[in-house]
Amino acid sequence: MFFFTIRRIIASVLVLLVSSFLVFALCAASFDPLSRYYTLNPRPPESFFNNLRDELGLNDNFFVRYWNWLSGAVTGDFGQTVNGTPVADQLFGRIGVTGRMIIAAVVIAVVLAIIVGVIGAVRQYKASDYALTFFVYILIALPTFWFAALLKEFVAGGINDLFGSQVLYTIGEETPGLALYADGWELWSDRLGHLILPTISLAMLSFAAWSRFQRAAMLDVLGSDYMRLARAKGLTYRRTIVRHGLRNALIPLTTVVALGIGTLFGGAIITETVFVWHGMGEYLIANGIGQQDINVVLGWLLVSAVFVVVFNLIADILYAVLDPRIRLA
Amino acid sequence: MATTQATQDTAGGVLPATPGAPQSGGGVEREFTVKARSQRQQIFRRFFRNKVGMTGLVMFVILLVFGFIGPLVDGKTYDTQNSSAQSVPPGTAGYLLGSDAIGRDLLAGLMQGVQRSLFIVLLFVVIAFPLGLLVGALAGYFGKWVDSLLMRVVDLILTVPLLVVLIVVASNFPSSRTPLGVGIILGLFGWLDLARIVRSQFLSLREKEYVEAAHAMGASNSRIIFKHLIPNTLGSLIVWTTLAAATAITLEAALTYLGFGVNGANQTSLGRLVSDGVQAASTRPWLFYYPGIALLLIVLAINLIGDGIRDAFDPSNRRVRA
Repeated sequence: MFFFTIRRIIASVLVLLVSSFLVFALCAASFDPLSRYYTLNPRPPESFFNNLRDELGLNDNFFVRYWNWLSGAVTGDFGQTVNGTPVADQLFGRIGVTGRMIIAAVVIAVVLAIIVGVIGAVRQYKASDYALTFFVYILIALPTFWFAALLKEFVAGGINDLFGSQVLYTIGEETPGLALYADGWELWSDRLGHLILPTISLAMLSFAAWSRFQRAAMLDVLGSDYMRLARAKGLTYRRTIVRHGLRNALIPLTTVVALGIGTLFGGAIITETVFVWHGMGEYLIANGIGQQDINVVLGWLLVSAVFVVVFNLIADILYAVLDPRIRLA
Repeated sequence: MATTQATQDTAGGVLPATPGAPQSGGGVEREFTVKARSQRQQIFRRFFRNKVGMTGLVMFVILLVFGFIGPLVDGKTYDTQNSSAQSVPPGTAGYLLGSDAIGRDLLAGLMQGVQRSLFIVLLFVVIAFPLGLLVGALAGYFGKWVDSLLMRVVDLILTVPLLVVLIVVASNFPSSRTPLGVGIILGLFGWLDLARIVRSQFLSLREKEYVEAAHAMGASNSRIIFKHLIPNTLGSLIVWTTLAAATAITLEAALTYLGFGVNGANQTSLGRLVSDGVQAASTRPWLFYYPGIALLLIVLAINLIGDGIRDAFDPSNRRVRA
């Protein structure tokens, strides 16, 4: 187990290294940090561009640039944005914002997925299974931003009318400026009000796919011989389902969820856009790509890759811990 | 994004569909039938008896009729602007589903949108399918360093969420804001999970006796791959195609919503209509509802068909023995 873990960690670091090189090559080829000066009128003299290129190190050899960037990134220095502020501070702040949204959503989604998946499998081809399947398929087919807009329009409006005050917020992660003078309960309840709708939106969509997965895994397990043996030994139906069935059927879901969290950190872009959260997604699109800011895009992609690789690693190790057969492979 | 990926993982993970493998249930059925049914007949039979799959198929055919025959009956085009019928609500004479801010007929728009979305799907499949199949087949069949090399490349691309890869690539090609451009970009990066599925199936299939027998009789590698291995992965390939087609429609909508999809002037797609409609959710709700529902229905139909096909190819899943 120990060597298995070590081997996987080394492999992950290698993947990250190569990935960082490819990402750097892609970004260096496609983004020009000087692009915003080209359209200035009157156009700055050529010497201005040359000075800037020297200053930003754009005239260096490609590999020197990569090395400079990488050695900075490893120590937590992702360079500066086009506005001269450090990328790292903003990036880490935004991971927190996105994280707030994701953690609650993942917990809700996993619990719902297990319940719905197990019910669907145990009652396969019964009315309740068909009803749940239909519901889940509709959720899977819903366009994320359309569903989120629906929540904003109706759930938020309805609940706020009911309470007669603004309970649910549809925009942003907290009331702007509130953090400057409020703290404790006032600040956190405000954040909670902002959090609920995006969480529901994200949770519903992740849950839908996971529940199908859980249902399939549970069906596999229900057909296995050890389930029949457990029943034959006289265990109650409920006990075989929970102790023997569910325990084993949870193993595949662990992997899927771990992989899902990794991509969600970078990939909650649409939900963030709809609810105007100043999280990772917005940072990439508005500050990174929108401003042709190579350091922002690079930093973002690296952080996102780290999340994906780390959660891949967690998934691998979890799988090996939960299912010892895998270590032999 | 994660949801779409997980959907496809489900497709790959759950699928032990190896039509060539002996079927445990087959012997029982044979006692009652006089004439044995061929593999293909059995699969079709199972699909046509599957309520979920048939519901999807019927929905899909209706959508096809709506998108391709509807415009002939309706006789209008979405491009026609009418300054005297701007933002009219549904039910107005000549505008069954209402019109948008510059007086274009929403019904005609939906019909065109369905066409464009299916065009994007077609393009996506035509590009992604051969790529995924080729990479997966090479890696799975030859193993060793070919496998390591190809799969590490796939792993590398997958360290960035697919939607982000698409955004970064699309942002470099501002001229790709058309259904054609989006279809191509989706196709170029949408094959990664297919390659993984094909590889894992090939890894186990190439150890089978019939492959060894073919080798012994002097069959070439390409003959073994095309005549023996690919037909045996057909189930997974078809299921992947349907589920990925549904994902492609969703991805197009997402890309368009973020401004990297079908965002050119005078361009339409379902995703574009839905994205535009979101801005008008409270003022002109018909522009919000109908495109969203159309997109929902088309993705739902394709997913249901995929589910039906998966069950049809996988007889072991039919009965629960516990």
